[in-house]
Amino acid sequence: MTAVRVLIAFFTLSLLGLLPGSSLAGPPVPRISEVSGTIHGGEARVHFTLQNAFTPEMVEAMKSGIEITFKTTVEVERVYRNWFNRPMGQVQYTRSVRYDALSRVYRLHRDDGDELLPDILAALDRMTRFEVVVPVSGDAEKGKSYRARVRARLDKVGLSEPLRSIFFSSLWDVETDWARGNLKTP
Amino acid sequence: MTAPPVRQLSHTPGEDPAKRRRERWAIGIVAVLVAVLTYFEAHLAAVGGMVAFSSNIVIFALINLNVIFVVLLIFLVTRNVFKILLDRRRNLLGAKLRSRLVLIFICFSLIPTMLLFIAATNITTTSIKSWIGGRVGQALTGAIEIARERLEEEALVLSPAADSAAEGLSAAVDPASFPRVLESVRSLAPPGTALLFFEKDAEVARDGEVPPAVRAEVLTRIKSMKGDGDGKGTLIGDGFAAAWRRVPGGVIVVAVRTLPPAEATRIREIAKAYDEYHQVRLLDDPIRASYVGILILITLLIVFSASWMGIYLARQITVPVQLLAEGTEEVARGNLDVSLDYQSSDEFGTLVASFNRMTADLKAMKGNLEETNASLTRTYDELRRRTQFIETILDSISTGVIVIDRHGRIAMINKVAERLLRIRTDGVVGRMYREVLREEHYEAIRSLYREAGEAAGGQVERQVELDVGEKRIAFRVSLTALRDDAGEYMGLVAAFDDLSQTMRLQRVLAWREVARRIAHDIRNPLTPIQLSTERMQRKYAAAHAEDPVFAECTQAILSEVNTLKNLVDEFTRFARMPVPRLEDGDLPMEIRAVVETYRTSHPGIRWEFLQEGPARVWFDPFQIRRAVTNLLDNAAAALGGRGGVTVTCTHDEVAGKVRIDVADDGPGIPPGDRDRLFEPYFSRREGGTGLGLAIVSTIASDHGGTVRMRDNTPRGTVFEMEFPARPPARGKMGSTAPVVDDGRRGI
Repeated sequence: MTAVRVLIAFFTLSLLGLLPGSSLAGPPVPRISEVSGTIHGGEARVHFTLQNAFTPEMVEAMKSGIEITFKTTVEVERVYRNWFNRPMGQVQYTRSVRYDALSRVYRLHRDDGDELLPDILAALDRMTRFEVVVPVSGDAEKGKSYRARVRARLDKVGLSEPLRSIFFSSLWDVETDWARGNLKTP
Repeated sequence: MTAPPVRQLSHTPGEDPAKRRRERWAIGIVAVLVAVLTYFEAHLAAVGGMVAFSSNIVIFALINLNVIFVVLLIFLVTRNVFKILLDRRRNLLGAKLRSRLVLIFICFSLIPTMLLFIAATNITTTSIKSWIGGRVGQALTGAIEIARERLEEEALVLSPAADSAAEGLSAAVDPASFPRVLESVRSLAPPGTALLFFEKDAEVARDGEVPPAVRAEVLTRIKSMKGDGDGKGTLIGDGFAAAWRRVPGGVIVVAVRTLPPAEATRIREIAKAYDEYHQVRLLDDPIRASYVGILILITLLIVFSASWMGIYLARQITVPVQLLAEGTEEVARGNLDVSLDYQSSDEFGTLVASFNRMTADLKAMKGNLEETNASLTRTYDELRRRTQFIETILDSISTGVIVIDRHGRIAMINKVAERLLRIRTDGVVGRMYREVLREEHYEAIRSLYREAGEAAGGQVERQVELDVGEKRIAFRVSLTALRDDAGEYMGLVAAFDDLSQTMRLQRVLAWREVARRIAHDIRNPLTPIQLSTERMQRKYAAAHAEDPVFAECTQAILSEVNTLKNLVDEFTRFARMPVPRLEDGDLPMEIRAVVETYRTSHPGIRWEFLQEGPARVWFDPFQIRRAVTNLLDNAAAALGGRGGVTVTCTHDEVAGKVRIDVADDGPGIPPGDRDRLFEPYFSRREGGTGLGLAIVSTIASDHGGTVRMRDNTPRGTVFEMEFPARPPARGKMGSTAPVVDDGRRGI
């Protein structure tokens, strides 16, 4: 039975070795910060920043032409002090970036259109700073408390076609916790 | 009687076939699942894109499921391997062959697989390293630069057109003059150039055909360079090149030219290869690790699949072999009611089916053999019974019989023939009769055989005299050539009858007849002679008193007459031997009385009487006393007044016989006289009548016995008279046997 145990352990470790995300994940914890915004009329405008989402390996991957896509989820809710909060609206927002080696620009793709960025810093800035408009149900009342909840995660890593047959999962595992921020009413 | 139940042999005792089948199915299904899952996971990216690991529970579940299945596969295969090793240690039938086959399969799969694994790993690592570290990178970088320069040059070629369009647009106050401006621009621009006009991040006018994707890309570029530079520049992108100019008033003029499709595709491929190269270079280690991991997985799958295949194939081989071995063992033990339960369309199935057919045939043949054997046994018993019957008959008759087969071998011989011809029957049967018989006897049979061949019926009967031991005995030889129904010679039967006794009896009978006639013819004149002589003595004695001759002559006549009377009496007694009157009496007492008489009359001789066994015997006292008297008289005569005589009376209760031995230490009897000792009127003694031993022989014969003579040790003669202690039943009495009645047997 010892031989069986050794084989099982070896095989498990071998399979775990196939999961590069577990070995390449960096120590900084990705998070959402500076959640703020306003709510007025039928929409809420939420600002937030994604921090520690791009590890040096991911930055290098971006430079190498790997498309990286983040998906953020923004929820707006009415906050009650002694009762359950009431969801008012939610939106999922996808943003990806890919380097175009021919034209030497970073192409940022958003739901509302593409943007070309000249360098990696600009690309990282655009990938980490968000302003999302969330349609909400009902009008915001002045003096009431509203809050936005935001979470982001790495959605896709666009490897070139041959590499997809080798890495059947993402190379990195990036996901933030829910971050909260109060929304101001006009 | 019911037939024994057929014993069905199926797989290894103690193994549940259904369980083994389930296990095989489990292993097969798990292996298939592992393969399917691995394939699915490998192609998941193509199906769903590069999704984050932790965000896709399906992938997580699939990987864990795959791990479980792989572990299960390893467990099942390893369990089977250990089970085989355990069976081998327990010396189960077929375990050694199975373990050897599995080991061979594992070795044959492991060694090349490991070599392939090492080679593939090295090749993969070397290939990746050489690809990312060699000149491929430089070539790709150079290629992308060339492509970029090509597009830049194309964009620079478009610059005059863009300038012209911008200048014309800014100089024209009236929009109606635009067509002329565009006309002049077209003359400056290369063929295929289009003009796009943007104002406030939107396309407001276009001159020429531009693909929508290019237009959208140009717009994106225009938007992205808002407020940049000195109001002019170039744009290159996927399949196009452009030169743009900002016109006072916010309008941007863009001269665009799309590349030919073939050239655009080539540039696109260069860009794609460049991206892939950089991605591979970035992911060098993970790629190698992935390849190694996949190779390890494949290697393990191959090894364990080969192991399981080895187990499976070994079982496919060993199960029928084991069944055949067990079946053969059963057959060797004599159990033919065995049937192997193994169904297969391969050669083993044929072999097992042949075995089952063979056992069935053997069983049928065994049944037939048993029936034949029983029949043969009955026949043999019958033959043996008949043979014993024939042998008993042959042994009970007084004729010696020798049966000789067609090859001249002795097929049968009875004890009488052994005794008559003085040959030993032990080991004689089956031997050539020429080797067994004496030359004279063989020649006699050969001579008779030749005569029989010429005689009608193949039978001949002759009287011949043959030397047997020191005697020459007369035989009546009857020889019959045996032939089957087809007339084929089968052998011959030779029957030997000893005529000595017959001839002796004939002589005795003849002598008795002679004695009777002599007695009759002599006795009749004796009485007148005696009476006449006595009368003459009475009448003429006085007249011839002075002449002694008369008295002497008459006295001599009377004396001789008296002697003749005695002789006639002897003859009469011999001729009129009475039939013995058997009675239960004390034989030793009778004999002792006779011995005592001779002890008195012959004081110079040592007389000794011995007795062994019980005294009561059935005999005729008168005749036995007479016989003993004759024997003692002969002994006394032979000793001449000196010597010793020992008379022994022996009663053997087991044999049921009585023997009277009279042994003397006299000079003995010459060999030449021995054959005629018991013949009447044979005597070497002066004055002897020669009837004493003939009478003894007759008395012994009348008592159902015999009398023999042999040499005494160290000297002298022994006469042995032997007869049954009890009279045989009347039906079994022979012609010369005594009878228990009052009758007298006449001559």
